[in-house]
Amino acid sequence: MNNDSSKLRHTQKQASASEQQQQQQQKAEAKEFSSVEELLRHDAAEIVVPPGVAVKLNQSIANSPKPKVWWQRFFSRE
Amino acid sequence: MTFRLEICPIDVELIAETVETETTTASPLRWASPEFGAIYEEHSKPIFYLTLRMLRDPSAAEDATHDVFLKAFHKMNTFRNESNIRTWLYRIAINHCHNIAKSWHNRHIQSSDDAQLLDRGATEANPLRVLETKELGQRIQNTLDALPEEYRLLLLLLADEKLSYEEIAALTGQTSDAVRGKLHRARKTFQIHFKKTE
Repeated sequence: MNNDSSKLRHTQKQASASEQQQQQQQKAEAKEFSSVEELLRHDAAEIVVPPGVAVKLNQSIANSPKPKVWWQRFFSRE
Repeated sequence: MTFRLEICPIDVELIAETVETETTTASPLRWASPEFGAIYEEHSKPIFYLTLRMLRDPSAAEDATHDVFLKAFHKMNTFRNESNIRTWLYRIAINHCHNIAKSWHNRHIQSSDDAQLLDRGATEANPLRVLETKELGQRIQNTLDALPEEYRLLLLLLADEKLSYEEIAALTGQTSDAVRGKLHRARKTFQIHFKKTE
C-alpha cells in the first residue's frame, strides 16, 4: 500500500517536472517584440549577406578600368 | 501591442550550422581595394536587407547589392564627406530599387506566385534562402507587401538603428515632422496586416 502511494507520488512528480520543462522550453522558443521597429531589427539581424556578393563585387572592382589621369583625359578629347 | 512569435529550434540550428560551415571554411576575401572592402563589410548588411525586402527576391537583392556598391565605388570621388556614407549608399540603393521596380522585367517577376519563390528558395542550400522559407521572414515580407510603398520604405529605414529621423527625412525628401507622422500611421498599418498573417 505504502509502496503504491510512493510510486504514484513519484509518477506525479515526474509528470509535473516534464510539464515545467516543456513550459520553459516554449518560453525560450517564443520571442516577443514590443514594437514594429524591434521586429524589423530582429528580422534584419537574422539576414546573412551571401558571401558570393562580396566575391563578385571584388571581381568587378578588379576588372574596372582605372580612372584616367588628367593628361589621358585631355588627349582623348582630341 | 506586442508581437509574439514561436521560433522553431530546428530551423535556427539549421541556419546556424550552415552559416558556421561557411564562415569556418571560407578564407577572408582579399579586396582589390581594401578601403572599399572595409566600407562593404560595414554597410552591406543593411543595404542587402533593404533591397531584399523592397524587391522580394533574394537573387535580385544579391544583384542589386552588388550593383549599388559597384556604383558607389565608381562614384567615390563625388561623395562629399559632410554626409554620412551609409545615407549615401541608401540613396543609391533606393534609386536602384525604384528603377528596377519600374522596369518591365520586374513587373513580370512580381506577378509570379509567392509559392514559386518559396519552392525555389527552399531547394538551395543558402542560409538566406533557408531563412526566407521560415515563418517570420515570410510573414514580415507579406506584411510589407501589403503596405503602401512609402510606408514600406520608411519602416525599412527605421529598422536601421544608425539612421536618425533627420536622415530618413533627407532620404525620402520630406521634413522630420512629416516622417514622424507617417511612421506613426505606418506602424499601425503594419500591425493590422501582421495580425492577418497569423
